[in-house]
Amino acid sequence: MEYVSLEGLRLDGRRPKETRRMRCELTALPGSDGSAVFELGNTKVLAAVHGPHECRRPSERLEDRLLVKCEVSMAAFSTGERRRRTKGDRRTNELSTFVRRCIETCVSAELLARSQLDVSIQVLQADGGVRAAAVNAAVLAIVDAGIPMQDTMACCSAGYLDDTPLLDLNYMEEGGGGPEVHVAYMPQMDRVVAIVTENKASVDVFERAHELALDGCRVASKLMRERMIEHAKHLWAMRQVTLRVKDDETGDEAKPISMET
Amino acid sequence: MTAPVLPGEPLRHADEVRSGPGTYVRGKSVVAAVMGHARTTPAADDADDKRPLVEVIKGPVVTGDATGRGGGTLLPEVGDEVFARVLRINPRQVWCEIVAVNGKAVNDASGFQGIVRQQDVRATEIDKVDMYESFLPADVIRAKVLSLGDQRSYYLTTARNELGVVQAKSPFTGEPMVPVSWQEMMCPSTQVKVSRKVAKVD
Repeated sequence: MEYVSLEGLRLDGRRPKETRRMRCELTALPGSDGSAVFELGNTKVLAAVHGPHECRRPSERLEDRLLVKCEVSMAAFSTGERRRRTKGDRRTNELSTFVRRCIETCVSAELLARSQLDVSIQVLQADGGVRAAAVNAAVLAIVDAGIPMQDTMACCSAGYLDDTPLLDLNYMEEGGGGPEVHVAYMPQMDRVVAIVTENKASVDVFERAHELALDGCRVASKLMRERMIEHAKHLWAMRQVTLRVKDDETGDEAKPISMET
Repeated sequence: MTAPVLPGEPLRHADEVRSGPGTYVRGKSVVAAVMGHARTTPAADDADDKRPLVEVIKGPVVTGDATGRGGGTLLPEVGDEVFARVLRINPRQVWCEIVAVNGKAVNDASGFQGIVRQQDVRATEIDKVDMYESFLPADVIRAKVLSLGDQRSYYLTTARNELGVVQAKSPFTGEPMVPVSWQEMMCPSTQVKVSRKVAKVD
């Protein structure tokens, strides 16, 4: 199959160093402490954060740091053919471990000792780049939950097909069997958190794909930061309204609870 | 004065300012740790450290009023008045789930577990307390936090006039019962009296 045409266009019409359209939304699920949706082209991932709360199992409690639990599930309708997916198969387990370890690196875990943070990730549509979208959604949800962290984080993938480094592979390109590099990156600290490579890659190919993926991370991070700033402004405006309402109340806020007898 | 900031964003040089809530020190910078708005407040006149304080305020929840103890998660502390729902009973103690602390609802889905031991049910004749005559599952009780208890639960006490069962359902009709004395509640439709350790509510 030809992944890059003579004109230099990919299967979905992108140039090799182009990402798909990204979109994100914070506080997508009001029932949770923090939540976010991240879309990468047709890939769509929902992340929800619960906590920090007391550890559900005291035996798992860590005395010096936060316990992070991460669960990934794929919706039955997330791929082309409908399929009931069991929880905890090899693929989703590996994905949840990856997301969990990225989160553990970026949150200030020592500030939240003896508590637990649950991150649930639901893949609504899978069209390649699920790993990157899952990390990005999780990071946004954690920021939304107000968990202290060292820096924000962004994740992006890059591959190498038809002797061309390609940014942000879609489902078809992921099936092409070429090397694929996922990079998670903290933009302000300029620090790479995690790298995962699938399929064999020579050092030369790896380095080119890695550089490209890093550029993708910067693009994703810029977009995410813009969206977060917008959300922070919105929350600030809401806060000002709340404060004004409180001022208007004439101090009879704490009414004793009475029982009619 | 305030500007939106994101985690990881350097705010000021660490020599110029003190790092407040929502920030941390990385190298020589004070850096934001949460999403919100940065605020600088000058140090108090009598403070030893004259540098202004930089903090990041999260919105929109106005923290600091939940328990009057600064923001964060609502955690019961010794001496707090709590409302709890009775879950389980045995002759020595009752297990309950704390649903509100100092009049504020606990938002943690599972709540906190509390235990009222036999000797903490009432102030007098504490050896003769019959747990089954004092509480039943599904009662809502008002209690005070006695101690942080063991690893799992807070120890609560109802050994005061204003503490005890505030809401109980009739075993016959399921409607809320009416207190008639400090030891009895009455079902409004069948007029049958049931024993409880009743709270005196004004």
